[in-house]
Amino acid sequence: MSKPRSAEVRLSAWRRVRLLAGPLLAGLVLLAAACSAGAGDNAPAGNSTGADNQSLQVGLGAAPANLDMTQTAGAAIPQALMYNVYQGLVKLDGQAKVQPLLAKSWTISQDRLTYDFTLQSGVKFSNGDPFTADNVKFSLDRVPKWKANTPSYLAAIKSVEVVSDTEVKITLSEPDNNLLFWLAGPLGAMFDPKAVDDLANTAVGTGPFVLDRYNRGESLILKRNDSYWGPKAKLSQVTLRYYSDANGPVNALRSGDIDAVYQSQAADQVKQFQSQQDRFTVEIGTTQGITVMSMNPGRAPFNDRRVRLAIVYGVDRNAINTASTNGLGKVLGAPVPPTDPWYTDLANKYPYDPAKAKQLLAQAGKTHLSVDFTVPNLPYCQTIAQVVKSDLAKIGVTANLHTQEFPAVWLDKTFTQKDYDLTVINHVEARNIVNYGNPDYYWNYDNPQVRKLLDEAAAAPGDAPYAADMKKVVDILVHDVPADWLYNAPNIVITKKSVSGITANDNGVSLDLTNASNPT
Amino acid sequence: MAIRLIRRAALFLLTLLVASIVVFAMLSILPGDVARTMLGVQATPETVAALRRELGLDRPLVVRYLEWVGGLVHGDLGTSYVTHQPIAGEVSDHLQVSLILVISGMIIAVCVAMPVGVFAAYRQGRIAGAVLSALSQLAVAVPGFLAGLLLVIVFAVTLHWLPASGWVAPIEGIGGFLRHLLMPALSLGLIQGAILSRYVRSAVLDIMREDFMRTARSKGLTPFRALVRHGLRNALIPVLTVTGIEMAALFVGAIVIESVFVVPGIGSLLVQAVQNRDLIEIQAIVMVIVAIVLVINLLVDLLYAAIDPRLRSTR
Repeated sequence: MSKPRSAEVRLSAWRRVRLLAGPLLAGLVLLAAACSAGAGDNAPAGNSTGADNQSLQVGLGAAPANLDMTQTAGAAIPQALMYNVYQGLVKLDGQAKVQPLLAKSWTISQDRLTYDFTLQSGVKFSNGDPFTADNVKFSLDRVPKWKANTPSYLAAIKSVEVVSDTEVKITLSEPDNNLLFWLAGPLGAMFDPKAVDDLANTAVGTGPFVLDRYNRGESLILKRNDSYWGPKAKLSQVTLRYYSDANGPVNALRSGDIDAVYQSQAADQVKQFQSQQDRFTVEIGTTQGITVMSMNPGRAPFNDRRVRLAIVYGVDRNAINTASTNGLGKVLGAPVPPTDPWYTDLANKYPYDPAKAKQLLAQAGKTHLSVDFTVPNLPYCQTIAQVVKSDLAKIGVTANLHTQEFPAVWLDKTFTQKDYDLTVINHVEARNIVNYGNPDYYWNYDNPQVRKLLDEAAAAPGDAPYAADMKKVVDILVHDVPADWLYNAPNIVITKKSVSGITANDNGVSLDLTNASNPT
Repeated sequence: MAIRLIRRAALFLLTLLVASIVVFAMLSILPGDVARTMLGVQATPETVAALRRELGLDRPLVVRYLEWVGGLVHGDLGTSYVTHQPIAGEVSDHLQVSLILVISGMIIAVCVAMPVGVFAAYRQGRIAGAVLSALSQLAVAVPGFLAGLLLVIVFAVTLHWLPASGWVAPIEGIGGFLRHLLMPALSLGLIQGAILSRYVRSAVLDIMREDFMRTARSKGLTPFRALVRHGLRNALIPVLTVTGIEMAALFVGAIVIESVFVVPGIGSLLVQAVQNRDLIEIQAIVMVIVAIVLVINLLVDLLYAAIDPRLRSTR
């Protein structure tokens, strides 16, 4: 009785194996073929011990679309590559002040039209080519071909003259006090003429790191440049990891996958990290960004200053800062980040005052107002929109919220077509105040006096007169209120205890890792 | 059989053609412009227009469509607007990762669904069956990304057992590969397993009411042996259909899961392409996914015949 049954079972088991063999084999072949799938985006298995073999993994937000900052916008490309791979004549420090880099020193002529730079000698690109004054001329002459990162910022340059291998003369067509500032940004990056054919996928610079590889959207790996002209970097390898949501990097930091989070968007989790002082260091710095709630001055109802001013009085910027950044940002009142030389604290120029707002609306004859608020689908914008909507309801203004996908749809509808009443976005570009001098910009602000003052400021004799002129511009803007300048976003930097050398303030150009270290 | 194959192949090609038209038309009315998205808020309108010309976006839609389809016929998926690299290579790299993820998810789903579904059916009307049934119902209602986040909080953030995100290729270390694969595969597989177990349960319940099952019992088999020997093979047909459909669902689910776990699969690639408005890359990825789903359906059709001999001779 038992014998035949077990034979039968064995037979049917064999049949089953045969039935499964085909798909199993196919699956194995597929798996074998896929064995290298996604290879190359992880750090080496070797532990980082000793000064020569330190590694650092940093969690970041938006990833570079590609590596070509000459043709593609977005802060992510220079953030990874500037100062680390590419270098300019000068750089910005943590206070957004200009410091020497490839230029040892420089002099500015009395008429502020001629800049004489003396270059570092013995500098080489990571491919071995020497860096000389010829590269400065090549790189700056190339700027008008740039499509992204605002090449017009260097439009004042008339000519670049090679005086010797280590001396360069830049002549301007008109004085420009912003010249050094912009030369410290992406536009000032120095290129090797032999290595500019595929900038979207390669990067050859003079910096302390070389690009190892970019796994698009996931991670960018830098290796130490062992033939670097300056003091060698302490880190032998840097991995920048990109996450699409705010919790990704902080979770990865907690679970020990990465060593640091830069520009964290998880403001609500800062307290938790601060309470674990034995494991983590938390620093809150400033950014170059202005969170701007623009009120389209080009059309009703915001073509009336009283209505715009009513909104500024009627919206509680402190509440917005609390809701959006957990109070870690700096409440503003003008389009100036705290690191700009012409910054003054104007947060209380127009304090929250719903009664005054109602009064202004009554004066303008707009007691029942309904406006369209186009809101990018970014978390902080959505948060701000909710606070604004409820604040405005209290002063009799109905805000109809329209969510737009960022960047594509918002850029198309609100930015390019200027089809909005109210909109909000964090402008991360440094010194974007100059766009109030451009009547074609989506801010739709047209004031000849501001344009004239901006020109005068650019030509002012020296830094102090320049800042004084810019303050005049700010005064006019704050009077006209074409926008409600809400807050300067915080730069939240959370690292493991072992990590040092990352500057808390974001200079708007780069996450400079030249001096970073992570001895573990 | 031959006629059936030819008919299936013709239908396959026709579906692809229609899909290509739909995909192209949908994307062309999608608001947002790759040139402006690439150049950002500081570029002048003239610069944006110049880039549009450079990318050939100023040409008529029909010309662009024919050029694209012509390339597809030759196996050329085009060159990305944003990265200036051939799309085919990127798609194939990312597809392999997604396939690993989806197949692992499917294996987990089947491994969960078969015992749970069979047991729930076998114990129908008793407490254990009801509890299992209720649990699977609950799991069906949980979105995959939520399951993923919960797994991260428990196993990565709290227990530190597994990495919170990232990916390691198998050749770079099988241990790291499995550690990185486990949570994304589980978040895909457990939910799909719960859905699948509902179908397994009802299929098994149907089968248990069949006459041949009564015959099997009457020749002396225990209820359990009767189910294993005669019931399961028959219950497999509806289950297989659902599994095929779920493969497609898994690919879609993988798009979200890949974002949560930063896995470099086809879903992550698609999300980036959409964000950059890299139309030509979006088109290519969507077409590849459509083709995969069609191939899966075809395979499921053919597998019926393997499982149920009655289907081999008909048609």
